[in-house]
Amino acid sequence: MDREDTIRRQDKELTDSIRYASLIQTAVLPTRDFLANILPPHFIFFQPKDIVSGDFYWATRLGKKVYVAAADCTGHGVPGAFMSIMGISFLNEIVSRKMPLKTGRILNQLREKVMKALHQKGGSKEPKDGMDIALIMLDMENRTMEFSGAFNALYLIRDEKLRVIRGDRMPIGVNAVEERSFQTHTLPVKEGDLLYIFTDGFPDQFGGPEDKKYKYGPFQKFLLSIHQEDMERQKWLLIHELLEWKGDNEQVDDILVMGIRME
Amino acid sequence: MNRWTISWSWGSGWNEGQTINLIEGMKLKAFRVRNYRSVIDSGWCELSPDHITGIIGQNESGKTSLLEALKSFYEGEINDDILRSDLSLPEVSCSFGIPAEMIRAVLNMKRVPEGLLQAFAREKELVLTRVWNEDKSSQVLAGGKEVEKIYDKLVASHQLKEEKLEARIRKILNETEKTRDQLKKLNQDREKLLRKLDLLKTDYSDREKRWRKRATGAEKEKLGAELEKMKEQIASLEKKAHEKAVASKKLSEKLDALIPLTEVSVAVHDTRRRVGHAEENREKIFRELIEIQQRMEYAPNEREQRAAQLKLDVTQELYLQANKQLQDRQEEYERKKMVASLVLGGKGVRQAVKETEEWFSEYHRLYSPAELGHELFQLIPSFELFEDFSSLLPNRIDLAEIIKEKSEAEGFKAARNFLIVSGLTPDFFRQANPRILKQKIENLNRETTVDFQDYWRQSLGKKNKIRIHFELEHYDASHPEKVGKPYLEFWIKDDYERLYPKQRSRGVRWFLSFYLELRATAIRQDTWHRVLLIDEPGLSLHARAQEDVLKVFEAVKDRIQIIYTTHSPHLIDINKLYRLLAVQRRDVEDERSETVVFNARSLQEASSDTLSPIYTLMGSRITEQKFIQPKNNIILEDVSSYYYLTTFFQLAGKKQDVFILPSTHVTNVGMLVNLLMGWGMEFIVILDDDEEGNRMYQEMKKNLFGNSDEKARRKICKLDSFQSMEDLFSTIDFKKYVLNKREGIPEKNSEYIENNGLSKSILAAGFKQRVQEDHIKFTHFDDETRENIGRLLDRINSMLT
Repeated sequence: MDREDTIRRQDKELTDSIRYASLIQTAVLPTRDFLANILPPHFIFFQPKDIVSGDFYWATRLGKKVYVAAADCTGHGVPGAFMSIMGISFLNEIVSRKMPLKTGRILNQLREKVMKALHQKGGSKEPKDGMDIALIMLDMENRTMEFSGAFNALYLIRDEKLRVIRGDRMPIGVNAVEERSFQTHTLPVKEGDLLYIFTDGFPDQFGGPEDKKYKYGPFQKFLLSIHQEDMERQKWLLIHELLEWKGDNEQVDDILVMGIRME
Repeated sequence: MNRWTISWSWGSGWNEGQTINLIEGMKLKAFRVRNYRSVIDSGWCELSPDHITGIIGQNESGKTSLLEALKSFYEGEINDDILRSDLSLPEVSCSFGIPAEMIRAVLNMKRVPEGLLQAFAREKELVLTRVWNEDKSSQVLAGGKEVEKIYDKLVASHQLKEEKLEARIRKILNETEKTRDQLKKLNQDREKLLRKLDLLKTDYSDREKRWRKRATGAEKEKLGAELEKMKEQIASLEKKAHEKAVASKKLSEKLDALIPLTEVSVAVHDTRRRVGHAEENREKIFRELIEIQQRMEYAPNEREQRAAQLKLDVTQELYLQANKQLQDRQEEYERKKMVASLVLGGKGVRQAVKETEEWFSEYHRLYSPAELGHELFQLIPSFELFEDFSSLLPNRIDLAEIIKEKSEAEGFKAARNFLIVSGLTPDFFRQANPRILKQKIENLNRETTVDFQDYWRQSLGKKNKIRIHFELEHYDASHPEKVGKPYLEFWIKDDYERLYPKQRSRGVRWFLSFYLELRATAIRQDTWHRVLLIDEPGLSLHARAQEDVLKVFEAVKDRIQIIYTTHSPHLIDINKLYRLLAVQRRDVEDERSETVVFNARSLQEASSDTLSPIYTLMGSRITEQKFIQPKNNIILEDVSSYYYLTTFFQLAGKKQDVFILPSTHVTNVGMLVNLLMGWGMEFIVILDDDEEGNRMYQEMKKNLFGNSDEKARRKICKLDSFQSMEDLFSTIDFKKYVLNKREGIPEKNSEYIENNGLSKSILAAGFKQRVQEDHIKFTHFDDETRENIGRLLDRINSMLT
């Protein structure tokens, strides 16, 4: 009985500290009001697997330019949360220089900081931790946007068609082979364009009649099917779709989907 | 092929020798010279990691002294010429790359102090220092910070600290003296008291008799009262005497306890005094030695010189004895100190002596730094100085000199090398009968063919081959002092003629002899690993032949480390300035001032005269022998900028009819600008956007452009927002093409270089080389780098046109 008590007490202490960590993590994520101020209509569907999350979103404004990112750090839970806090701090530090940078260069700098922080030098035995990320920059004045991705892609829905802009196939962190510079994709944007950035949590969720992954194809189709709805309803529909698909299965990973409608 | 004809090329010939790569062995990494001729302290001079190091500097700057110092390090010999007038003794340290297993292999592990091997492993280098004594004898000490720590700890662990021990000894001696004084005084007081008591008792006894026998009435009563009083006095005195006796006993006991402590303390004092006397004695004899040496120098005639020499010999012997006596007494002093430490720590004298003896025998069992140095010295590569007198092939050399291996004979090394290359050993010539020997030589094909095809671009006949021919001859009557004695005679033959070596050009003779030296090295099994010191290899060679020498260095560098002196631009590879050490006098105007050495990282601090070979080379390469053009001159802050900009021009395929003139430092840019303005040449300046660059911009704007930004901007191109040329690269390109590393670099490239103490010029030279060797194209860079470089080149172009 005593032993059970001890375990229960320890478990409570542990959960309490993680809950406190979650408060810190929430504190570093951009607030709903801040996002409403700087972004056109949007939704954020953020569903951590545990109390704290390895996925994070980030946004900031520099003059007429708004940067938005959705990232997925190695692991989930506490280790992932550590990485996510590091990622947010680094991003803030990079854009704090007040000089608008291309998205590719921001990712280049982010990778340098992560590699330095994790002492990664390309050796075979060192940890390969890092993050995947999709970063967009919306230039409200010139009606253009930039996108760069580390593994993660951008979906652009325009005129009922979904276009996939793929990110580079390398992470933010040491790469298996030599690191290269991240590409910057520059595109014009139009009113009514829908931009979706996300992590792999949603498409990788197991479920359905055959207990398989949801996958990217159905994810694209689903987004196409809901894109005309207003943003809040799109979020609700995504939640509903996930619950339907997942059924009694456990959530496999943190889930993050962000949608933005250009005005 | 006849076995006496050796025909080979540089590329293939080396496989015959030992194949162990230098890198695997104990490579000389750095050296430091102290108190050697004009060098007071060279500081640590790091050698080029690719095994070819050039020492540049003007005549009399001290270049050769560095080579000679290294030779002395290896051979242990010095002469009076190298000693400095302040009589400070020379020390030469060399640091070697050190595989721990090699060290383990040569040492007797039972004699290795604990932790020493780990210390070597941590330091990853072995520092050996040769120190010379006044009598020119020397010893090699194993050193390095970690190793010294081990030895310091070894001694410190068994002894109280010197000052602490001294303080305690002083205290003991004071206490003993004080106790003795107290005891003496106490005993004196007690004796005085006892004497007084005796007198009082005698007096009392007399009075008591009188009182008993004779006194009556009032007298008796008076006497009785007096006796009572005396009785009280006696009792009081007896009590005092007793107290004194007890105190005296206590002090005596205390003194007894102090005696052994005092004895050991006195012994320490005595031996220290004896050490002092021995030092004084040695000093006195040393002064005499110097005096006799001076007297010898100024001896008016041979007789007095001989007398002085005799006295010198005797005094030298005395000096050695005095030195030995000093060493013995110093060790005795150490022993006494240790005994004292133990006794003061509570041990009995006998036990302390026993433990001291045990410790010293253990200490002597372990390697001393000198013994360790002696053992490890056998691991290091051999150092050999290639000098003209001994190393150039002579016309003739006495056979006796070959047999007796008289290395100081003219051409000895070259002749020996030739014989090795020909497959002959000195034993071959030990044949007692010269006639038989001559016959044997004649029976052989006595020629060695040397094929210069690959490395000697100057024509030497149709096939660029020469043959060396030797014969055994005997002196005739024209050499009366040697008549009948055998000698070897050498000839050099090509397609046209047969000449004595000295009849050929000095260049051919030098190159041939150098070629023989390297070839012989490859053949000799015992010297697979060596450091070749070459003084002014280019001195007698044509410019192209000097460049050939560099090619030869490249070909052998994996087996032989080369350190050479030069002031020829043709013996410098512009792409490998990290190979250079620059030597000059501290006061460049004063040839008696000390020699200072600049390494690759501080080259820019050397004077422009010292660096003149580099400047000559840069000028001649870019403009194909033109010095400065009337137009399109670009002045840069430093050599690293030169490497980058020339490579950027090449990569971007921009026209190269520009003359790029690097300054040695941003502070010298103004001087170059003044010069070009004075000569009416057109130019632009490129400055970094850092503190020093901005200061120079402001200075020039004020002094040369009437404080007008507009005018200044027409001539001065600032790397806006880039602190230096390295910042033009994106971090990823900087890592890939300049740094060749993959670690994360969040700071600016220039900040990374500074934070990590890297050499800008080595990195820049490496980049240039990588671009050339790996055929890197402009399109290989990412858009950030391309954009930055493109913008800079466009700006330069627009400023030039």
